[in-house]
Amino acid sequence: MLEIRSARKVFYKGQPDEKVALDGLSLSLATGEFGIVIGSNGAGKSSMLNAISGALVLDSGQILINGADVTDMPVHKRAAKLARVFQDPMRGTAASMTVAENMLLADLRSQKRTLRQGLNPARLAAYRERLAILGLGLENRLDTRVDLLSGGQRQSLSLIMAVGGSPDLLLLDEHTAALDPRTAEIVMRATVRAVDALKLTTLMVTHNMQHAVDHGSRVIMLDAGRVRLEVAGEEKANVTVADLIGHFSVKTDRMLLAS
Amino acid sequence: MGFIQDILTSFVAIIPVTLAQSLILAFVVLGIMIPFRMLNFPDLTSEGAFPLGGCVCGVMLAAGMAPLTGILVAFIAGFAAGCCTAFIHLRFRIHTLLAGILMMTMLYSINLRIMGKSNLSVFGSPTVFDWVPFARPGFPASKIVVAGALALLVFLALYMFFRTEKGTAVRAVGANPDMAEAQGINVWAATIGGVGLASAFSASSGALMVQSQGFADVNMGLGILINGLAALMIGEAVVGKQTVWRQLLAPFAGAIIYYQLVSFCLAAGMPPPDLKLATGLFVLAMLALPSLKRSRGPAPAREAIRE
Repeated sequence: MLEIRSARKVFYKGQPDEKVALDGLSLSLATGEFGIVIGSNGAGKSSMLNAISGALVLDSGQILINGADVTDMPVHKRAAKLARVFQDPMRGTAASMTVAENMLLADLRSQKRTLRQGLNPARLAAYRERLAILGLGLENRLDTRVDLLSGGQRQSLSLIMAVGGSPDLLLLDEHTAALDPRTAEIVMRATVRAVDALKLTTLMVTHNMQHAVDHGSRVIMLDAGRVRLEVAGEEKANVTVADLIGHFSVKTDRMLLAS
Repeated sequence: MGFIQDILTSFVAIIPVTLAQSLILAFVVLGIMIPFRMLNFPDLTSEGAFPLGGCVCGVMLAAGMAPLTGILVAFIAGFAAGCCTAFIHLRFRIHTLLAGILMMTMLYSINLRIMGKSNLSVFGSPTVFDWVPFARPGFPASKIVVAGALALLVFLALYMFFRTEKGTAVRAVGANPDMAEAQGINVWAATIGGVGLASAFSASSGALMVQSQGFADVNMGLGILINGLAALMIGEAVVGKQTVWRQLLAPFAGAIIYYQLVSFCLAAGMPPPDLKLATGLFVLAMLALPSLKRSRGPAPAREAIRE
């Protein structure tokens, strides 16, 4: 379960270019719920995700994950509770390390790291099995350095790394935006399958209105640092791309193209 | 013909001495490699940590302490220095190189304070090299055995460490700090610990050097960094750096080859004052090579430079 209580964050406070990124934003996501976050550029989507992951320290407000207050927790401590897939495939993986080593790092996200050998046969077998689900052949490339993989393969790996160990909260930050349409579809399908199978509490930011219509149990639209609209239940089931776009105060080209 | 023979004779005659020296200095190269390659933290602290270890050990030996204690205290002092550099970088967001220069400059004064004078003779004090039973004290064979055994021990220990769960996490910090943090790794702890350990090795090298040469000098670190970098470049060119094994082997192999090369150049009549220029040009050439290879294309991306 995720709960954001009147989160506020102002950049460049007191300066001429002061920018209110989060303006008393409140949001709650029940356990197992799949929330889709939409909103135009500058609406506060990234700031919200950064605040949840700990990369952004709030001016005021609270963030709770499964009832535990994580507001003052540094990024690496929160990692035990949440996993994140970034938009940029480069950010989510360690390029100079192998596929297996990256899997190991993710595997130990919520555990204490010991002085025992990291990669052992049991773990390698488990990683092979988990990667095979993607159908990209990554299971046979465990010893390949990640910088030799394509963007799509890296992003798929990031996804498998993130959903492994069933995090309390999964954050997807436009994670298919940098991929070509076909690969984006593969990654999106793998995402939905993992989220359904593991019943993960998920928050996905997207600019793709079709994804927002097709997936998730709730659409949350942000504007100027607060929640402008929530569509859930019956209404969400019947919502169309045109409905969603109608709610945007500023329509970007990107959004219209996506429709 | 006689000329070449003379060069070779004088070169071969000092191969064992050079080998002993290079095994001791291999620890500085290791202390340069770990931050540079494993943590993506180009660091200059070794230039100050090496004499720090030497001065600390010199004072300890002069006070009649055991040679091993001297090395251990030097190790701890070096560790502290490295931690300071990493902290300066992390806390104040000062560039790693500038943090290293600051630390190295401040260490010069500290080193002088520790010794109380710029030069301290500890000739005749017991050293760790006395332990080898079959060698006469002072003969390079004992130095080769002791320094070689230490190098082997450190190499194996580090190799084992970087394969553990903790070791993999430390490497992740160097590979992608954002990702490491998102995977629950404490980037501060890993960076401070890693840079600290590296400087500890540099300081230990200084301590061994003092025991080997019989005196400590506050200027003994002058140019050690560029020598170490040159050695690292040679090592990486020879054994590679694709795997942890190779990357760890590179400093040791590089140190051995580099110092033999230097000794050969000197035997061939190269004036010693020119050595730093030659070394600098060599390091420059090695660093420039990748961009020269692709001179027709666009400048290499940031990612490629870090490689």
